[in-house]
Amino acid sequence: MKNSTHSVQKPRTDWRKKGFIFAFLAPTMVMFCIFYLYPLVTVFFTSFCKWDYTNITRPEFFGWKEMFKNYKYIFNTYPYFWEAMRNSTAWALLGVFFQIPLSTIMALAFSRKMKGVKTIRNIYIVPCMISSAAMGMIFLQLYNPLYGVVNPIIQLFNPGFKENILLLKGSAFWALTAAYIFFTGTTTLMILGNILAVPEEVREAATLDGASGLLQDWHIIIPMIRGTLKTVSILAATSGFLLYNEVFFLTKGAAGTYSVSYIIRELAITSPRTQFGRANSVAFIQIICGLLIIVFVNLIYSVPDWLEKVKKGAEK
Amino acid sequence: MKKIDSQGVDKLPLGTKIFTWICLAWALLISLVPIVWLVLSSFKVDPLARPGFMLPDSIYLKGYISTFRDLNVMRYFGNSMLISIVSVFVSIMTISMSAYVVARMEFKGKKLVNIALASTLFIPTTALTYPVYNLINRLGIYNTRSALILIYSCSGIAVSFFVIKNYYDNVPKELEEAARIDGCGYAQTWWRIILPIARPGILTAAVLALLTNWNEYYWASLVIIDRDKLTVPAVLSTFTTAFTTNYNGLFSAMVVIILPPIILYCVFNKFFIEALSGGAVKG
Repeated sequence: MKNSTHSVQKPRTDWRKKGFIFAFLAPTMVMFCIFYLYPLVTVFFTSFCKWDYTNITRPEFFGWKEMFKNYKYIFNTYPYFWEAMRNSTAWALLGVFFQIPLSTIMALAFSRKMKGVKTIRNIYIVPCMISSAAMGMIFLQLYNPLYGVVNPIIQLFNPGFKENILLLKGSAFWALTAAYIFFTGTTTLMILGNILAVPEEVREAATLDGASGLLQDWHIIIPMIRGTLKTVSILAATSGFLLYNEVFFLTKGAAGTYSVSYIIRELAITSPRTQFGRANSVAFIQIICGLLIIVFVNLIYSVPDWLEKVKKGAEK
Repeated sequence: MKKIDSQGVDKLPLGTKIFTWICLAWALLISLVPIVWLVLSSFKVDPLARPGFMLPDSIYLKGYISTFRDLNVMRYFGNSMLISIVSVFVSIMTISMSAYVVARMEFKGKKLVNIALASTLFIPTTALTYPVYNLINRLGIYNTRSALILIYSCSGIAVSFFVIKNYYDNVPKELEEAARIDGCGYAQTWWRIILPIARPGILTAAVLALLTNWNEYYWASLVIIDRDKLTVPAVLSTFTTAFTTNYNGLFSAMVVIILPPIILYCVFNKFFIEALSGGAVKG
């Protein structure tokens, strides 16, 4: 009975269902095309074009023979590309190998049932509520040689020090890094959410087996939250690779602190001799690097499995 | 039988306890020092005369008064509020629609839609700088708030999409079937049955998006030039030139700028923390 009415109604329902699916999907797909697909295609094709302030409205293809001209320029002539690549890669690596371990340690500390933990956890999130632009401005002031707090600390060890550490090569990179790298509130919370989701029975069993505290965390908890750690590692590495705000607010690329995002914007918009084609070839490289980061993080997180296999093989 | 509280403080080994204390001390230090220093400096008549952590000799509030009187901060808050709320509304609305279709219905090209939306998570938006800038210009909305609303609505699709879809996946299918048998149309079922149930997931996505949009600097400084249309983060970059030697004014203005998100967080921190941790951490 139910079946027969269904089959009679089917053509009409089907049409309505299709209409519904289309109507509900269309706005998101339009947004996707406007903001992602169309720009992505443009970036790819115009990276092989001569396109700068002299021919703003009409990009010209270099021709098949010369098609990599922009890339050659970026690799061989443009003075800041390799510096930017080196910095951005360093920030991506620091994301995976410094920020994630730090966030994990903090999340473990916040998972203990001790007095005051909740309050301190809530305070630890506060800097993440402030925009990175504002954080950059605050650190710019902290580093100020006239009224900041960093120079007086340096002067304890080196009394004559009067420079601005943001303008010294070497120290500028680390000063810039220190302005964002310790603020891991959101990542810590995501990890903490996962740690607290580990069933109490697992902890109890481990405690009975004599593994408590940090030992338990290392052997039981960390392996259980590996999936989340991988996800947040990808996020941290990507945001490190894309760093822009801190560079803009603290150094504007001075003293060897260019980042890839910074040179894209410089080439495409900020500089008076805008070079859109070249900016887009850097952008294309950035997209490829974004993909490589995902592959790289996945590889790192497959190392434990791989070691396990080797170990088992050796036992046999 | 007494339940073993494995994370209880008495059961923790001493080493772990000490380590935890160090971590907590570090957390307090790193999150409070910059903000406390900023607030302290904003009360100093002349921060140059009393640098570092020296206490101000008297509390000087002129910077705060002039921030509200001359700097027009309320205007920038208004811009930020308008832009981020409208764009969050647009993006969350459209994404709750599409995520529902992808979560619950079978159709041709579903895989493609999934891949397309997932890929946005990994496309660096800074790489799209020039094409988007160009598009904004050609649409004739350069230097308008609509440009930012458009950009914010379209960026960050992926995060909202997965948070919301995840939530739909947990809503039992029987509910919809019952509604359909009662004669509800597809859209009606979604609006009256599914949307109210999925509200926590949608709110999480909305909070995340609101926070991102409120603090966004890259695009905000790219597509808007006129001072009276700037958002809060974008106006910050004009401060270094606006207050060349008036450090008291600079610090006061910065405190005023960072205050609203902090107050909002203090009031709703329970909600923020639950949203960010995926509901597992209670505030």
